[in-house]
Amino acid sequence: MTFAPSEDLRDMPDDEFRMLVRRFAEENYPKDMPRHSQRRLHWREVKPWYLALSRRGWLCPNWPREHGGMGLSAAKQLIMIEEFGRHGCARVNDIGIVMLGPLLIHHGSEQQKAHFLPKILSGEHIWAQGYSEPNAGSDLAAVRTEAVLDGDEWVINGQKTWATLGNDANWIFILARTDKTVKKQAGISFLLVPMDAPGVTVRPIENLELFDEFSEIFFDNVRIPKGNLVGEVNGGWTIAKALLGHERVFIGAPRLSANALAQLRALAERTGVAGDPAFEDRFVRLKLDLDDLAALFESYVEKLRRGETIGADVSILKIFQSELFQRISEEMLQVAGETAGLREPLDGDARLHAAGAYLMARPTTIFGGSSEIMRNVLAKAVLGLPN
Amino acid sequence: MPPQEDDAAENVRMIRDSTRAVVAADGDLSRIRAQRFQQSGFDPAIFATMAEMGWLTLRLPEQAAGLGLGMAEYCALTEELGAGLVPEPLIGAALAHRMTGADLAEAGICVAAWQDDANSLGWRKLRIDGGRITGTKRFIPDATGADSFAVATAGGVAIVAKDASGVRLDSEWTQDGCSLGTLDMTGAAPLAVHAADAVDDALDEATLATASYLFGLSGRVFAMTIDYLKTRRQFGQPIGSFQALQHRATDVKIQLELARASIASAAATLDAGAARAARSAAVSRAKCRANDTALLVARETIQMHGAIGFTDEYDAGLFVRKAMTLCNRFGSSAVHRRRFAALLKEAA
Repeated sequence: MTFAPSEDLRDMPDDEFRMLVRRFAEENYPKDMPRHSQRRLHWREVKPWYLALSRRGWLCPNWPREHGGMGLSAAKQLIMIEEFGRHGCARVNDIGIVMLGPLLIHHGSEQQKAHFLPKILSGEHIWAQGYSEPNAGSDLAAVRTEAVLDGDEWVINGQKTWATLGNDANWIFILARTDKTVKKQAGISFLLVPMDAPGVTVRPIENLELFDEFSEIFFDNVRIPKGNLVGEVNGGWTIAKALLGHERVFIGAPRLSANALAQLRALAERTGVAGDPAFEDRFVRLKLDLDDLAALFESYVEKLRRGETIGADVSILKIFQSELFQRISEEMLQVAGETAGLREPLDGDARLHAAGAYLMARPTTIFGGSSEIMRNVLAKAVLGLPN
Repeated sequence: MPPQEDDAAENVRMIRDSTRAVVAADGDLSRIRAQRFQQSGFDPAIFATMAEMGWLTLRLPEQAAGLGLGMAEYCALTEELGAGLVPEPLIGAALAHRMTGADLAEAGICVAAWQDDANSLGWRKLRIDGGRITGTKRFIPDATGADSFAVATAGGVAIVAKDASGVRLDSEWTQDGCSLGTLDMTGAAPLAVHAADAVDDALDEATLATASYLFGLSGRVFAMTIDYLKTRRQFGQPIGSFQALQHRATDVKIQLELARASIASAAATLDAGAARAARSAAVSRAKCRANDTALLVARETIQMHGAIGFTDEYDAGLFVRKAMTLCNRFGSSAVHRRRFAALLKEAA
């Protein structure tokens, strides 16, 4: 399957672009799909929207146009995120789009690009990320899943975990140990593994939302072609780390906190807490935090717009956003009173679901680098504090 | 980049450079230390240099003999002054000019006298009756060294000479070695009266400039603290290698970056000529963040330095005491949260 380049929207004025995206979401987001869902959707649920984006050539706003992307500026990508969020569009299975695609574009061979990128664009390949292991979480470089070259094949043994929507994926990229004799970061390779290969087992894990968002994935003498290595042997750590650029900015977008604060307001009105001076003071503090976060986020977007590089200080956004989201959700839990303990949303209205927001906010300070690891990085890379 | 953006960035750079005239380039604070609790608490010669550079009228349009600079530039200026703890009353004098829209050179050193009460941003209590003023203005920074006051009243902004008949000034030292005055007027006759339409805008601008001053001093004293964490050794290693301190230092850094963004976005909101409520909300937000950040930095500075941080001979204390006085100037965080909440309600 080949893809005609999508229409070139790079030079369209931002306001006009925003209206175009808004109209597209309104007209093309499948009517029978959930909107404003608090949990991620599985592939079987989200596939129609994925394919609608694919048909329009809008699946990969971040990829260059020659690879079937839209080649958009960070500012325009943000507009798409905002407008899709506004309509309540579900997030698609985007690991191939956000993680693997850009990595292959930078570090993959021509063959790999030609083979894999179109299959992401068509929805034929749904990717999972195989980084974390039971004993390699924050200390990711400690991965032990091992790949040994046997003739023309890598033989893989080990276990990955916390693969988001791993039970939807038919391919997984992994960091595997290929040299045990060197410094841990220097003995890791980046491999592409089909999940239907013999020896791959997937076990879904239910999270606190009672949703099977994660999976454990076991590799038992799994054999893949030698050519499924990306980059150099033992060069996997470097290319995996290089991926963290623009994405870091978007992780810090104020959208989750902004939605949660609107929910808090609605909940306070519903439960009669609104107007209580103590609540209103707490609310204003949260609102001030949100507005300042938005101002800080805008300053990073502005840097991207000017083509400046983003430094390690961008982690500030992620820390503050995720911790603010948690504080707002904790306030929701309080404002909801006893109804916070109910399993189903108050009045069946997802916006009033304090427990849902509370649980949804928990992992945001863990994934993509825990707040503690982020603070370690900031202390050293930005403040220059000693080891 | 559009040309006007280029110009603004260039103006900001130039104004930052120009502060070298009054801020020691090597960061030396001996002048600041020596000035404390002496005479008027500031140096009239340095104030004169500021006036010569046109800073007192920087917010007036060029037609009115001002510099016609935006809030981005004004905030850059006060940030540098804050980093140098410059005590001369630039903000109070610039406020006097901005409230009146006039060149007040003939009134000598003229500072704003606007505040009616503690814990309030109110300024409209006094009136001008038959050309005379009776009543009190409180919390006037650096009043001792001033020659005259721009007194904000419901009936206009009156320029009142300190030595005029019916005028009495009481002054008290503040923690930072400057002073706060109380101006009692009994049938005082002003030198001139200007319309009061610009007072609200002028106060918002002075509030934001003060937030930026606080941000400047917070950044400087935080840098001192980071240096200390890198060099002070205990248990055989620099204390900055301890994770507990690293994480707390990072929390301060997060607040500083929020303050930077908050002030910059408020300045942009004012410079873009947004609606009155949006301007005031942005200013209140920035002042809250700057206040709270300055007090956080103050707390962590003393704590991370240990006992030396609690001595007067160590410079960190100069910053702490300045933060203590400025966090309530033009409104505490509580005052500004209240105003922000009211504006939010209005907008809903």
